[in-house]
Amino acid sequence: MFSFDLHKRKILTVFLLLLFMWSLFGVHWQEGVMHSSGIGTAMEIFAAMFTPDLSLDILYLAAESSWLTIAYATAGMSLALVLALIIGILASGVLASGKHSRSFMKGSFRGVLGFMRAIHELVWAWLFVASFGLSPYAAIFALAIPYGGILGRIFADMINDVPEEPIQALRAAGASRLQCLFYGYLPSVKNSMISYTMYRYECAIRSSAIMSFVGLGGLGYQIQLSLDDLQYNEVWTFLYFLIIIVVFIDGWSNMLRRRMAQ
Amino acid sequence: MKKRKFTFLTFSFYAFLLLIVASWYFVIGVKNASLAELFSKENMAYATKFFKGLFGVGQEDVAFMNRDSWSHAFKLTIETLQMSIMAIGFSTIVMFLTVIPASRNVADGTMTLSRKWYRWIVFGLIRISYVFSRAIPELVWAMIVIFIFKPGILPGAIALALHNFGILGKLCAEVIEDTDSRPIRNLASAGAGRAQILMYGVFPTVLPQFLTYILYRWEVIMRTTIVVGFVGAGGLGQEFKLSMSFFHYTEITLLLICYLILVIIADYISEKSRFFVK
Repeated sequence: MFSFDLHKRKILTVFLLLLFMWSLFGVHWQEGVMHSSGIGTAMEIFAAMFTPDLSLDILYLAAESSWLTIAYATAGMSLALVLALIIGILASGVLASGKHSRSFMKGSFRGVLGFMRAIHELVWAWLFVASFGLSPYAAIFALAIPYGGILGRIFADMINDVPEEPIQALRAAGASRLQCLFYGYLPSVKNSMISYTMYRYECAIRSSAIMSFVGLGGLGYQIQLSLDDLQYNEVWTFLYFLIIIVVFIDGWSNMLRRRMAQ
Repeated sequence: MKKRKFTFLTFSFYAFLLLIVASWYFVIGVKNASLAELFSKENMAYATKFFKGLFGVGQEDVAFMNRDSWSHAFKLTIETLQMSIMAIGFSTIVMFLTVIPASRNVADGTMTLSRKWYRWIVFGLIRISYVFSRAIPELVWAMIVIFIFKPGILPGAIALALHNFGILGKLCAEVIEDTDSRPIRNLASAGAGRAQILMYGVFPTVLPQFLTYILYRWEVIMRTTIVVGFVGAGGLGQEFKLSMSFFHYTEITLLLICYLILVIIADYISEKSRFFVK
């Protein structure tokens, strides 16, 4: 007998494979997919990987734009953290008193968070630049809004997953909702909040690097300029700087997580 | 031990505080960006003009009221969907090919009870490729890939796949590292070959977790498809960029609506199918 429950994983796998096959039909394979000199260019770019341009001007430029990238990412992330804490706590509904006001608060603030993170940071950046002009704030706000949305949603989920017993103990001792939040909920989710924020910070560095694309400076902007000049060696210098920053932050957050777990 | 943990945590705390202060100082002090200027009369005029344009106030040809532009946008939406599926398909294939040697317990031989000298070299090479793939954002990959491939959805899919196979690989390798190695060692000592160990030992235990990660990454890819389109990699993003350059603001609104619908659908599907997998 065919049982759906037993086979549902296989059905899903076959369905996903079919979906992938269908997507391949979207490409015009017979017209050729590469430029006529495509393979040569690919080899040149690959070869440049081993010979990055290490002249002093380029290194100086790379260091300067790395700082710009980090500064925008940090500023945006600090703003996102504030946004996420405020909206995330509201969206978790722990501050609401009644059942109805709780579900209303949850629904509306989760909707706000969903809207914030649905639009990609680069699209936000583009909208801000189009309306405000080229200002560092465009980059910072563009980072802060979607990251605030993502962080806020995760924070709200974390707060909702806190076990009930310690909170009930606090309430039995006569703590108000605000006191419950500060002495019950927040201390128990602090560590997971920090490690998730660190992970997002790494992503923010990458996003901040591509903010340049709308003309806001930084590592991505230099990469684009060098690519347009066909200077693949310089491109790899900037890419190595980006990789080093990302690996450094990744290592730092790993170390923090291990220390906090102890 | 206790003391050391304390110092590292406090050190990190102060380092981040310093970093935040320095960044804000840099933005406000060195770059001379002022918030007040942002809301100057001139900027407000520009912003209102821009948003009026987006909502098609006082325009004759409003794209989101026009049937032809809707059908065009629908075609682009399908293209974008295909691009995202192709991207996750490519990265899944590469991930499956590399994930086994990239997990630590296979490299040191505790998983399969056989030690080979070259395992650590392969492990290192694959892990380095993961780091490269992960650290370089998809937009930069797209800028590079567009030099090699003709514009269309294929370079977009390849760029997205190049960024995502590193992330998927890292996540999935961790899953393999966390699996219980006893049943697999049992298979190995019963004389199963490498392929048999994979088919009957590793895959059945890790596949549900893999699927969760793949769906999660698909959701993220869906959101980023619009971005790789900016550099000419097809789909909604390419059209978005074109409309932006031609100042066809109502078209932007239409494209944003399509994009939001796609993102919401992707969210919904990945949420639902996660239940399906369990």
